[in-house]
Amino acid sequence: MKRRIRMNAFKSILLAGHVFLTVAGCVFFGTQLPAGRIKWIAFALLFLLCVLGIGYYLYFRKRFVDFSEEICRKADQMIWDGNDRDGYVCYQNDNDDYARYEDYGRYHNQETLSSKLIMELEKLEDITRSRLSESEQEKEKLQKTISEIAHQVKTPLSNIRMYQDMLKEPRLSEEEAEKFMEITERQLEKLEFLIDSLIKASRLESDLIRLHIEDGSIFHTLTISVDGIVRQADRKQLGLSVCCDPAIKAFHDVKWTAEAIGNILDNAVKYTSEGGQIRIDVHQGELYAEIRIRDTGKGISPAHYNDIFKRFYREDSTRNTGGLGLGLYIARNIVMREGGYVMVRSVPGEGSAFSIFLPMNQVL
Amino acid sequence: MNILQTDNLTKYYGTEPLVVKALDGITLAIEQGSFTAVVGTSGSGKSTLLHMLGGLDTPTGGSVTVDGQELSGMGRNELTVFRRRKIGFVFQNYNLIPHLTVYDNIVLPVELDGRSVDQRYLQDIVRALGLADKLYRKPGKLSGGQQQRTAIARALITKPAIILADEPTGNLDSRTSQEVIGLLQATGKRFHQTIVMITHNDEIAQVADRAIRIEDGRISEGR
Repeated sequence: MKRRIRMNAFKSILLAGHVFLTVAGCVFFGTQLPAGRIKWIAFALLFLLCVLGIGYYLYFRKRFVDFSEEICRKADQMIWDGNDRDGYVCYQNDNDDYARYEDYGRYHNQETLSSKLIMELEKLEDITRSRLSESEQEKEKLQKTISEIAHQVKTPLSNIRMYQDMLKEPRLSEEEAEKFMEITERQLEKLEFLIDSLIKASRLESDLIRLHIEDGSIFHTLTISVDGIVRQADRKQLGLSVCCDPAIKAFHDVKWTAEAIGNILDNAVKYTSEGGQIRIDVHQGELYAEIRIRDTGKGISPAHYNDIFKRFYREDSTRNTGGLGLGLYIARNIVMREGGYVMVRSVPGEGSAFSIFLPMNQVL
Repeated sequence: MNILQTDNLTKYYGTEPLVVKALDGITLAIEQGSFTAVVGTSGSGKSTLLHMLGGLDTPTGGSVTVDGQELSGMGRNELTVFRRRKIGFVFQNYNLIPHLTVYDNIVLPVELDGRSVDQRYLQDIVRALGLADKLYRKPGKLSGGQQQRTAIARALITKPAIILADEPTGNLDSRTSQEVIGLLQATGKRFHQTIVMITHNDEIAQVADRAIRIEDGRISEGR
């Protein structure tokens, strides 16, 4: 506001100065110069200068007013069109509105100032709108998650109910009862695991989890996740080797990265047959540290590389193995939120190699 | 919201009876903020598709709409300005200008448009792409991966509606490829950019949110 007042004052002074100089000039020439042609020429020149000055002022003022009007009109149009910019076509019936529609394209893709400004304004509008729609999508996502949870929970739940009903039968032998109890127990465990992973997945997705990203040693994180699978690997008599320089550091959240690595290791153990090998090694690249987990399992065909990270995706051949299709999804989500990424390379039948890349510079 | 849409897009070369159908009725929609990979073998029409999407070539039939504007309705000059403001390109051979520094290469599209550079945004991009200490070198003194990262920074600087990447890792070894793709994905997410990437490599495509497969000019999977 202060600045505008100063601008206005400046403008008035300029104008006043202009008029003053002209008048002063006229008086000077009128009194000092001898009468005759020179006097009239000087007069005419001065007068011309004065008119030119005022003309210039008015011209640029008009240009500026036009310019700001264009921008204002365009901004109005954006507000007027609201959420429906793809819908210009619908104005075509109405003559007046059709003109507006025509107008719309006029400012696009020109080398003029107004075009530049208008396209910038549009960009701003787009960004604002995409932020808005993001929050709407969040809501949708939550709804979807809820219905997915309901769907996944239903099967074990109805199993439990069925066996529970059967347990109520009076003619049940002791043996049978015990067997049913065991089945129910197992179903309950499954349910617990299911709900745990679902909660994790949905919390990660809806950004409810805060990652504490720090520049830390990868070796330490790796130890935590390997600890979690040593017993299972032992049971299947899998060879497990870790090769990691303790000096290699990356930006990551220890707890959640351990979870991500654990999920991938878990898969490696699950899909590698007895006597196989799991090897973990860590390399340093220019920007990322790579944690590579190689197994001698059944492998993944390249066409499914993209799918295995999707929520609830299970390859047809894995139907018999326990699992939900959430592990890799969660792992990828965690790593991506740390500014890293996960990649897989595999030869079906010979094994797969998952690589987790964690940034060594602070990316996010 | 769909930022990019094609409707029954076709591109034919030659005349009857020797018509080569490079693109044969491609209809797709790409959502704002997503990372899409278009996968296909060489000759499948994927590069032709990208050229159509970026307004570098005109289709035989059908339409391309980017951010609510149809490309076919534009004149040449208009299209040039449109590309500069709305589309960021990343090419296989980087296309950097050799006698400009990394900094000048990055800000070139902004300066061409006669605007001043948003320094804070620039610093942000440069840091995310690991180029901060290489700003005043010439591209010739950089590795392939660094050159491609410079090209990514150049594509990001105008905050385009969409970034089109044509085999961005075609000239890079596999380790560098992975880094560049990872960065492309991470920066895309960070700066809310929509990215469409062409590749023949499934390994590279897995980083994308969605993979569209093209065979003989048609979408065979992942519509």
